[in-house]
This record gives sequence, C-alpha cells and structure tokens, in this order.
Amino acid sequence: MFRWSIGLAGALVLVGRAVAKPIAFADGTTVMVEYGAGTMTEEQVFYAPRYDVSVGGGHLELDSDETTKVRRISYARLNYLVRRWNLDDAQANVFAWGGLGSATGDTFSGTLLAENAGAQADYETRRVYASLKTDWQGSSAFSHRIDTLQLGLAPYKHDYDGLASWFLVQARQYTGGIHRGVESALLLRLFKGGAWVEAGVTNGGNLQAMAMFNF
Amino acid sequence: MKLLSRLLISLLLAAAASVHAATIEMTVNGLVCAFCAQGIEKQLRKFPATADVVVSLEHKLVAVALKDGQDIADAELRRALTNAGYAVKSIQRTDTPIADLRKRVKQAKP
Ligand SMILES: [Cu+2]
Repeated sequence: MFRWSIGLAGALVLVGRAVAKPIAFADGTTVMVEYGAGTMTEEQVFYAPRYDVSVGGGHLELDSDETTKVRRISYARLNYLVRRWNLDDAQANVFAWGGLGSATGDTFSGTLLAENAGAQADYETRRVYASLKTDWQGSSAFSHRIDTLQLGLAPYKHDYDGLASWFLVQARQYTGGIHRGVESALLLRLFKGGAWVEAGVTNGGNLQAMAMFNF
Repeated sequence: MKLLSRLLISLLLAAAASVHAATIEMTVNGLVCAFCAQGIEKQLRKFPATADVVVSLEHKLVAVALKDGQDIADAELRRALTNAGYAVKSIQRTDTPIADLRKRVKQAKP
C-alpha cells in the first residue's frame, strides 16, 4: 500500500506538486508544531528573506510508547526551494534542506553533533493535494529517516478570505529510528488567514496533530 | 436647466472618478491557496503608491488600487510578483473602483 502510494505521488510530482511548506512566502515567518502521540514531537521556526530561501531552527523529539527510548535533536536549518512550477490552476514545488544540530538520547551517552537533510515534493490545485517528504537525521550513534506521504482532497474551493478544508490520508514510515514500520493516519486540515491546524487519528488510534502560523 | 446642470456635474464627477480610481488588474498563475495570496498582498503593500490590494484565487486576479496621482511601473509589478514566487500573465489598468472589484469577486463564487 505504501509503495503503491509512493508511486502515485511520484506520478503526481512528475505532472505538477503539495504538505506544509518550509517556506511560506517572501518576508514571511513560519511557526510550526507537530505532534504524533507516542511517536514524535517537532517544533520549528523559519524566516524567509526571499520566496525561495528560509532559515531557522527546530527541535525534534522521538519517543516511544512501547519502550523507554528517547532521542532529542535541536537543529539549525536552511530550506531552499529548488524549483517551483506556477501552472494555470496548480502549483508544484521541490524543496530541499540541510542543517546541523546537537542530539541527546538514552541509547548513547553525551551530546553528539547531528546532521539533517531532507527534501519535499508537492503538487496542489484548489481541490487536490499530494506531497512526499523525506527527512533524515544522523550522528555517530544513529541514523534515522521519517518519510511522509500525504494525499488530500478539498470538498470545495476556498478563496483568500474563506476557510479552507481538506481531508487527508497520511502514510509515515520510520526507518532506523526508535519506531519501525509504517503508520497511517486520517487527517482534517483547516486554514484561514495565516493559521493552519490539522488533526486526525492514526491506525494505532493515536492522535496526530499539527499547527502552523504564517505572518 | 436644473436637469442639464445636474447631468453636467455628474458627468464631470464621473470623469474625475475615472482619473483617480486607477486600478491595476493582474492575471497571475500559481495561486492555489490563501498563503499565496497573503504573500503577494504583503509584497504589494510595500509600494508607497498602493492604496489597497484584492486577491482572488478563483479569478487568478491580483488587483492594486493606486493612491491619487500615483503609479507603479509594469516592470516593478512583475518584479514584485516574481520575487513573491509567482508568474504574471497579464497586467491591465482599469477605472474599476477596488470596492466594485471586491464585490464582484465575492459574488462570483462558484
Ligand atoms: Cu499557496
């Protein structure tokens, strides 16, 4: 199911691109908080001096509801919009990012230098959304990756002053981390003005939520 | 006579309004969500000549109302939209008051 979905997202990416973007708009600040019950919490703040670059930092905490393992990473990151396609009724983007930080955890001792790299491709019309994101964190003691696929449908077309609603399916794969395997989730996304909230439930019955503010 | 002078006055007023109610209407590609609109509005409001901004995703429209007697060159508008990350397809100058435009894009929702 996950492989098939990746193929589909890949196809969508080829014809056009769309997830929460690490760069909102030129001279814009983005604050993002993401929470997956029993798996991960991440906070990020970015400022974009230009439409295709943003700089900032974040904190990722991976923790398990099955074991006592915890991993915490604080990082500084640069996000870059590699390419954007402005189509008649759609927009597609390819982003890439990299950063450095420090990691602590209970599977190793002390504080380690952590490296981070990732990429995202998205395609979005006013009714359809698809995005694929891969995010890797590594150090001398660990190397893990979180891949996230989202496919969304909007029941109606929103406009600038209106409320946008999206129904999304999400598949997330954890590799080399504290969690293994694929977790799927059903999400409802709402945004209006500069505020974006997203919440849903995973196949394990856990809460998955995200909030983002652009200003 | 009274009617004639009234007509004359209203014609003069209309002419005056058409001189001052300068609006720039742009067709822009890649507008898919409210954040696109927010970023574009932020860039366009930086021009001292900007009095008001209307963005409609449905109409791919980005409109700027100009302050009395002021203007923004096409090249500057294109640059602002390009720097915001979007592609301008066309630029048109009209006499449509921005309030009318705002009303029109609101009514014409699907
Ligand atoms: Cu957008």
